[in-house]
Amino acid sequence: MTRRRTRRKKPEYFFDFTLLFVVLFLLGFGLVMIYSTSSYEASLTYNDPAYYLKKQAFAAALGIVAMVVVSHIPYHIWERFAFLGYIVSGILIALVLTPLGRSSHGARRWLNLGLSVQPAEIAKLGMIIFLASLVCNVGKAIKSKKGFMIILGAPIPICAMVYLITDNLSSAIIIFGIAVLMLFVSSPEYKKFILIGLAGAAAVSGGIFLITKLAGSGKLGFRGERILAWLNPEAYASGKGFQTLQALYAIGSGGIFGKGLGQSMQKLGFLPEAQNDMIFSIICEELGLFGAIAIILLFMLLIWRFMIIANNAPDLFGALLVVGVLGHFAIQVILNIAVVTNTIPNTGISLPFISYGGSSVLFLMIEIGLVLSVARGIKFNEV
Amino acid sequence: MLINRNKTIHRKKIVTLFLACACCFAILAGRLCYLMIVCSDYYTAKAEDLHERERDIKAARGKIVDCNNTVIATNKTVCTISVIHSQIEDSEKVIHMLVQELGLSEEKVRKRVEKVSAIERVKSNVDKQTGDRIRAYEYAGVKVDEDYKRYYPYESLASKVLGFTGSDNQGIVGLEVKYEEYLKGQNGTILTMTDAKGVEIPSAGEDRIEPISGKTLQISMDLNIQTYATQLAEQVMETKHADSVSILVMNPQNGEIYAMVNVPEFDLNNPYDLQTMDSVSANQLPDKEKQDALNQMWRNACICDTYEPGSAFKIITAAAGLEENVVSLEDTFSCPGFIVVEDRRIRCHKTTGHGSEDFLHATMNSCNPVFVTIGLRLGVDNFYKYFKQFGLLQKTNVDLPGEAATIMHNPKNMGLVELATVAFGQSFQITPIQMATTVSSIVNGGTRVTPHFGVRILGEGDKREKVFHYEEEKNIVSAETSETMRYILEQVVENGTGKNGYVEGQRVGGKTATSQTLPRGSGKYIASFVGFAPADNPSVLAIAIINNPSGVYYGGQIAAPVVRQLFENILPYMESRQDSPVTIQR
Repeated sequence: MTRRRTRRKKPEYFFDFTLLFVVLFLLGFGLVMIYSTSSYEASLTYNDPAYYLKKQAFAAALGIVAMVVVSHIPYHIWERFAFLGYIVSGILIALVLTPLGRSSHGARRWLNLGLSVQPAEIAKLGMIIFLASLVCNVGKAIKSKKGFMIILGAPIPICAMVYLITDNLSSAIIIFGIAVLMLFVSSPEYKKFILIGLAGAAAVSGGIFLITKLAGSGKLGFRGERILAWLNPEAYASGKGFQTLQALYAIGSGGIFGKGLGQSMQKLGFLPEAQNDMIFSIICEELGLFGAIAIILLFMLLIWRFMIIANNAPDLFGALLVVGVLGHFAIQVILNIAVVTNTIPNTGISLPFISYGGSSVLFLMIEIGLVLSVARGIKFNEV
Repeated sequence: MLINRNKTIHRKKIVTLFLACACCFAILAGRLCYLMIVCSDYYTAKAEDLHERERDIKAARGKIVDCNNTVIATNKTVCTISVIHSQIEDSEKVIHMLVQELGLSEEKVRKRVEKVSAIERVKSNVDKQTGDRIRAYEYAGVKVDEDYKRYYPYESLASKVLGFTGSDNQGIVGLEVKYEEYLKGQNGTILTMTDAKGVEIPSAGEDRIEPISGKTLQISMDLNIQTYATQLAEQVMETKHADSVSILVMNPQNGEIYAMVNVPEFDLNNPYDLQTMDSVSANQLPDKEKQDALNQMWRNACICDTYEPGSAFKIITAAAGLEENVVSLEDTFSCPGFIVVEDRRIRCHKTTGHGSEDFLHATMNSCNPVFVTIGLRLGVDNFYKYFKQFGLLQKTNVDLPGEAATIMHNPKNMGLVELATVAFGQSFQITPIQMATTVSSIVNGGTRVTPHFGVRILGEGDKREKVFHYEEEKNIVSAETSETMRYILEQVVENGTGKNGYVEGQRVGGKTATSQTLPRGSGKYIASFVGFAPADNPSVLAIAIINNPSGVYYGGQIAAPVVRQLFENILPYMESRQDSPVTIQR
């Protein structure tokens, strides 16, 4: 009893060093891989092999600062800005249509705010905070059909805007996926989710069946062609299957131990923009199956830490924030690797911390900051 | 501030979520294992296909050697100069250097250098010294590749027999084309790794598939005989102002050809230079005309051109007559200087007539009316039968491309007049090689041989890899007829029209011929002589054909001395050759 009392007098707060280590390692590893994949192209295009590395390192440094700052802010403050965040996300997405918007690779997805930012990244963060707050506000009513539908319906306007305005299906799927996962955790239901899952699976297979039937009719848009290319990338080698096929060449030619760091052939212009979404295939080529599995294990470790923190969060709001971040990471990592290995049709999803992209890294680091902030609320003896 | 408790149900759900993620990761890891272990070989091969660029390494073409192993066609190292656009650092310097070293126009070099392509060939067949000099500049993006060019050390010797090779080292005419499969070898490749734009990556090692050199072809030609025959042919062409002279020397027993001369020859090392005109006027010719002129220059008259054999064909008529028993040596004839066949009066070359003569003397005198008589005694069907039996209707199948077929009357349209003219070698055409082969068969005891150059294929270290065998057809005439023919033809040389072919101390048989070319009355003649020695068992047979000589045009006057001079020199040489170890090896 005495012991217990002394502890309570000096409460030690939890700081998750494992999580921090994994995050910093992935960030550092990401920079190494960006240099490895982009230096050849960068030296040809910009006459500076470190062109992409420098930009990404700047974003990463900014991200670390943001993470430290956010981790020191008590997370309950964000509750007050939850609805505001939701509205601002919507406005920012709409701003893409104004002259502030910037196009790249034929898609208008960026906002020029001094720094080039994807509003979809902000919307992900905003959605996590908004839903966590919403669930807490709904309280027990979540058990009712109405409460369930409110929470499921909340992300739909933002998703629709991301899809319709910025033509970014993958981000819309990610945002909706995060919402579903958060709802799954907050609702006591299982059956409904299983039904939703089955219905989704049926819809997807039905859609694929329809698309294969329509193949060659010319009525398919680029998404339909992507699905055909996914089923048989070699038949679409010069079109929609090109990137996937090049990624598969990279992965397959890596073998068990890889060609060694920096030895990739596919990054020499064969796999276009190897530093972006397809970077994982170059990791496979250079570091082999061992390197690839090691990266997957690191992401597992990251998600495991999220789970521990979520389970020990002092309240539901904190737990749901972490669940949202967990969902975000899990969905992006799983979908990215699935795309790269041609397990699912090609869609542009970046690999957290590793793919090139400044705003992505910045907002991911802010999310880590949020998680660390929630972790600070855990009293040590509760772990 | 809302404080909702983080309930057990939420914790359970979070763990479920984590486990679901773990499942997804496990599935992806499994997928990776499948791709990187099971499919690894497949994708590695595909990726290498994509990364590798192939460059050919030319195989050294096989040599051609004569029967004494003297090399008459070989290779010399030449360089190909190319530029790699993406690697060039200072294009002006490169252009200036290439213009200076290669002697090309600046415009042409600039076009090559500034063309955006993976690799651009600037000039091939550059000699090795120039290539070495260009390499010594060490300019980035300039590539000097060595390969082989065909080289003929004896230049124009036997040019129409040997033939030459094209830009890809492939045979174009002559033996080079006929024995392509043995001579060409197999090109190797250099595999280099490149990036997506085709730029070679210096750090990546090169994979080489070594080329396989072509095999050596040994031919029956004897360089000494060929050289001497060429000298004789050139000499007679000059003194007689002839259009061309062909000399063919072969072994009548087995068909091996020792020499085949067709002057004027051409320079094998510059086969596209027309001999008959300077290069300036040649360049002004329209392409088609120039190509025709070149084809004419490369033509092997012994094989590709036909001629009326004239009196030398009486050998065949005589053999047929003897074989069919319509004539014997002792038969006597009377020549009034002409013979009337149907409504035609065919004259003898001796217009006053030879008077009474036996068959031997009729041949020695080359008396036309006698041979017309024999032809008529044989009749169209019989004559045609022997024509066919002696192999005159088919090609000789000599191992050279472009052999011309015999031009002969259709037996259905052959009247007595045609028969009469054929009997003394007119109104039809055969090739010189056909003539030599048929006479060989008649004097060698009756075996139709296949004339040929190719003897054997030698591999590395002159190891024998293949010996060529040629068809023979026995008994096209009986041994007795053959013996009689040898006797008659020896008499022709000793005491008859062929006496200018006589060689002191040797037994030579032969027959002269003088034929007027078509159209008749043009005053153009072909003088020829076919001779063989020794007359009792011939080991060498030669035919000399002089095309359109000026002045004296009788075969006995101008062609027979050529064969005599040839025999005077080569017969002692061939005897000595028989004793040499080279021949024992044969």
